[in-house]
Amino acid sequence: MHVQDSVLSPAVCAVAGAISFGAVGYSLHRLRDDLGTRTIPLTGMMAALIFAGQMVNFPLFVLPVSGHLMGGVLAAVVLGPWAGLIAITLVLVVQCFLFADGGMLALGVNILHMGVVGAWGGYALFRVVNSCFRNERTGLLCGTALASWLSVVAASFLFSVEFWFSWSGSDFDFFRIFTLMVLFHSLIGVGDALISVIALKQVVDFRPDLVLACQTTERDPKIAWGRFVTAGCVATLAIAAFVAPFASSRPDGLEAVGERAEFSDMGVAPRLSLLSDYAVPAPVAAWEQSRWWEAVSVSLAGIGGVLAILAIGWGVSRTTKRIDLEAAS
Amino acid sequence: MSDYLDRYARKKSLCHRLPGSIKIVTAIVLILTAISVPLERWPILGVLLVVTYLGLSLAGVPLAYLMRRVGLFLPMMFLLTISLPASQGFERGWDLMGTILLRSTVSLMSVLWLVNTLPFDDLLVTLRNWKFPAVLLATLAFMYRFLFVSWDELERLKIARRMRSFGRTSLFFRWKSLSRMIGLLMIRGLTRSERVHGAMCARGWTGEVVFLEDDSDT
Repeated sequence: MHVQDSVLSPAVCAVAGAISFGAVGYSLHRLRDDLGTRTIPLTGMMAALIFAGQMVNFPLFVLPVSGHLMGGVLAAVVLGPWAGLIAITLVLVVQCFLFADGGMLALGVNILHMGVVGAWGGYALFRVVNSCFRNERTGLLCGTALASWLSVVAASFLFSVEFWFSWSGSDFDFFRIFTLMVLFHSLIGVGDALISVIALKQVVDFRPDLVLACQTTERDPKIAWGRFVTAGCVATLAIAAFVAPFASSRPDGLEAVGERAEFSDMGVAPRLSLLSDYAVPAPVAAWEQSRWWEAVSVSLAGIGGVLAILAIGWGVSRTTKRIDLEAAS
Repeated sequence: MSDYLDRYARKKSLCHRLPGSIKIVTAIVLILTAISVPLERWPILGVLLVVTYLGLSLAGVPLAYLMRRVGLFLPMMFLLTISLPASQGFERGWDLMGTILLRSTVSLMSVLWLVNTLPFDDLLVTLRNWKFPAVLLATLAFMYRFLFVSWDELERLKIARRMRSFGRTSLFFRWKSLSRMIGLLMIRGLTRSERVHGAMCARGWTGEVVFLEDDSDT
């Protein structure tokens, strides 16, 4: 997961480091405003917990590798975005200086991926999704699921852009690396979403007072369909906007098929993925040729993924009944 | 556990006696040199590899540990960098892939040298001398202490889980129970941090970070 040194160029590391430095500084500034006596021990504990949580290995189907939690969204939901970013930063610092996991110069890059994108971006998304649900628990879990998944995918997208900037002098096909990274991470993201949702459900059911997002969110009694539709439209447009240029820079249909074949020969993830290759087959054969269809299909596949993740969050919150502590005692 | 984290950091060797700030700067300089070596000058990377290896053996880090770390690291790097020649139809890009692999191995070994010569408390002292924000360092110090606690808690949860579940279970069930274990770990950990916080308040904690002034950068 962690970016090692020398994978990215020093310039890219410097820029990412500057952004992360600013983000950490701003978080500290925001924390100082409402620095209760609780913040420091709580943040330290949360960082240690995420570190320990990342040590739990999750078996994957038949592969010899195993997955683990990322925790950016989880930290932000429990502690709020500012302390959440600090917790993730500390996890990365300890992993770098105690385990040599993730490079030293690449520390800024890792903070950018897991802290800024994971904790801040994830929290922003979480707030939007959360406010669309009338039921507090459903909103919390659906928001966490979607935010975890999308923040992992966004981080992988960011990494491919950084990789491109680092090695733009040498010739290689950016779009293929981009596809490979995003596809692979859209699978990893599903795992992260599952772990985060089930772990958070556990905490919310037993100790909702520990979760900051439980206390701060004001809930509208009416379900906010208008907001939901607006958010959905904005998300669709955003995905379409930032994916379309890459989609249309692809070669024509026949060559694209050749590329795809090459990819599956390498035996990488695509075959496992539900929406293989992130492209929906066109209903009309002639559309396959046109470039805008590729953009549209990538967006459609993205929306499909979003809906699937939302279904996971909703399912977890529904299938298991909330434990009524007061009735039990 | 204490030995598990930075196993060789508390040895007494020439490398260990250097001041913390010099160790950090040395590691950064090594990594920067490795990154900025141009493609055609790759023999320099070989020299750097030897230098970092000498440093590691001087610090008394056993070869077996080193091999295990590099062995864990290289396959992942290989998977990542193979995408470079793969995107060229395996015709070009091999030189770039080789360079990235060499560079990253040098960087990993420099960081390993730093990790195994610099105890964590020395790192905290050094960072404090470098005027890092006190809140950040205090939280980092807390995290370091809580690491051991949450690690032990996790071990207890794992043992309890092993005792209750035997035989092979389905993949989904394992994921579910492992995720719930993380949730339980969070509940226990956060509750414990509340107790710690209460105890700190009882001893006069006001949220102000105070460092003892007598320890110096050694």
